[in-house]
Amino acid sequence: MTLWEIFLQQLFNGLLIGSFYGLVAIGYSMVYGIIKLLNFAHADIYMGGAFVGLIALSFFADSAIGNAWLGIVLSLLISMFLIGILGVLIQRVAYRPMLKAPRLSILITALAVSMLLYNTVMLLTHGQFRPFRTGLTHDSFFVGALRLTETRVVLLVAAILLMFILHQFVTRSMYGKAMRAISLDRDTCQLMGINVYKIVAITFFVGSALAAAAGVMAGVFYGTVHFYMGFFIGLKAFTAAVIGGIGILPGAMLGGLLLGLLESFATQIPFIGSVWQNVFSFVFLILFLIFKPTGILGRAESERM
Amino acid sequence: MLKNKNILLLALVVMFLVFSLFGCAPPAAPPADDDAAAEEPAAEFKGEKLLGIMIPTTGAQATDGIDMKNAALLAVEEINAAGGVLGYKIITTIGDDGCDPSMATAAASKLIAEEVFGVVGGFCSGATLPTLKLYGDAGTPFVIAASNATTLIAENPGWAFMINSTGDAQAAKAVSSFENLGVETISLVDDGSAFSVDLKDQTKAAWEAAGYAVLSEDRIDPGTVDFSAVVTRIMSANPDGVYWTAYQGPGAKLIMQLRQSGYEGVIIVGDGSSAQELIDLAGPDAEGVYCTAPPVVDFLPAAQDFISSYKAMFPRDPGAYAGLMYDATYLLMDAVERAGSFDGEAVKAALAATDAFEKLTGPIFFTPQNTLGRSNFVLLVAQDGKWTLAE
Repeated sequence: MTLWEIFLQQLFNGLLIGSFYGLVAIGYSMVYGIIKLLNFAHADIYMGGAFVGLIALSFFADSAIGNAWLGIVLSLLISMFLIGILGVLIQRVAYRPMLKAPRLSILITALAVSMLLYNTVMLLTHGQFRPFRTGLTHDSFFVGALRLTETRVVLLVAAILLMFILHQFVTRSMYGKAMRAISLDRDTCQLMGINVYKIVAITFFVGSALAAAAGVMAGVFYGTVHFYMGFFIGLKAFTAAVIGGIGILPGAMLGGLLLGLLESFATQIPFIGSVWQNVFSFVFLILFLIFKPTGILGRAESERM
Repeated sequence: MLKNKNILLLALVVMFLVFSLFGCAPPAAPPADDDAAAEEPAAEFKGEKLLGIMIPTTGAQATDGIDMKNAALLAVEEINAAGGVLGYKIITTIGDDGCDPSMATAAASKLIAEEVFGVVGGFCSGATLPTLKLYGDAGTPFVIAASNATTLIAENPGWAFMINSTGDAQAAKAVSSFENLGVETISLVDDGSAFSVDLKDQTKAAWEAAGYAVLSEDRIDPGTVDFSAVVTRIMSANPDGVYWTAYQGPGAKLIMQLRQSGYEGVIIVGDGSSAQELIDLAGPDAEGVYCTAPPVVDFLPAAQDFISSYKAMFPRDPGAYAGLMYDATYLLMDAVERAGSFDGEAVKAALAATDAFEKLTGPIFFTPQNTLGRSNFVLLVAQDGKWTLAE
């Protein structure tokens, strides 16, 4: 491989993993923006999404649609819907009663939900990896010097499409407008007749559905799922959300892409390689935050009286 | 007043001790009973002795851990059915090390607190490492069934005995296997765990000593969500062979991504990936992948009875490490018999003096560092969805 080919290949790798980070990061960012909660359970919702997708896919496995994209898309939609509802339920049971409590208390309930979710899946799967069989072939083809597979291209396009739809939803729809208003001032929104609880529930639905989508896509791409799969991507997506400016959705997407590209290129740099890849990318991010503490798209907030 | 109170307390304690010694000690069996006992060996036990089993029953390595636990339970059941050890019935207690150093420390402390006479187990070297000192301090003999990083040797205060060949024996097997497959350049990939880094370093040293080149070294640590960057790097180095030195979960992902990126060279995985799970996860991509493995019972002629009793007792296949665990359990019991007591020091001395003890996995005897005195590795290849012996 020439240097140029390696560069192109790593660029594509970085974009793909970065868009996964971005999809998960959006959930962190949305929830933080609207109720100022670091939703620890979000990573486990991602994991749950992958498992629901796997179960859904196994129902299609024996039929004609099981071994192609149609089955995967159906499983993805089923998983997004069910996990979205799970997100709303979690919000209703664990977070809504705590909205008036001190910020730290709700952080603890988030931690509890996270442990509940991943321990449940651990017990159900006996802590084992599960194969995620899609029946897709992985014949590769070349675009110029770039080696691609159908799966990779479809997943990247799907991730970008989902982010685009979300962006339209938040900027164009009435609900999106309400979300943005609530993140600015919850009490005033309530006084203006906005049903805050309903909007919070919708936020959780959308954020969880996107995480579920990322989970199913990760299953399709990597071929295995595991109860702990959410932990590290959760950490990285959270980092991406902070880097992008937490609470700002395009920021979460950009942060995800930046982190993905950093990791991917760090692997190729001599003397850093995959051994120091994480150290390299996090040192870079710390330096970045020192000079721009509010993240890529964040603005310094003035204290409102 | 205070002094009087103390004396009173002391008197109470002494009285209690004396009472417990005379009052509770089992009455010495009259010699006449011995003949009767000899006629019905399994009928009466003198008492119970607690054996500790330390393996991961949760976490990513739970598959192997549970296989090993089952093997130990099977051995104990057979031993008890044959009259126990020195007339005592063996009962077991499990410590779950979760393949994690901090969980392992807690598990070892729990076993020691329960006053086990010895411990068998040890799967992940990283988790086994911090427990060696604990067992040493407590004077508990520990037969390590699977863990085999050479880093364990320096940390062993002398109470642990490794019946699996150490990493350097495996590295030698990997080097000779690559040579036989016509490979001249390799890339090494580990996951940052003690065991896999050790194996990678040993293999690198042995490979370069044999006059070949290592083209790249990579790490897929648990924080790596995506492997494609590493795969691209390996592809750009373009080695004849790739050696993955860690476990089956990420190993399966690495194999799938290498093959999907069009890599056609030789892939060998280390013994951490020798579970059937690797092939189940990687599916068709696993075909033709090699594995430097510990003596897997499926390929041992001596182990056919073991396999059928294992399957009769548990609804699963024994897996790669069950044979070693079975041997570890029998070895510890054999040492107790030879020592003539359950006393830690005596059992330790008897273990060290083990001379060609043989059950399933071949003769066991120890070097002065308490490691196995020979190499026991074999080369497997994945064919038609199953591991088979390559030689």
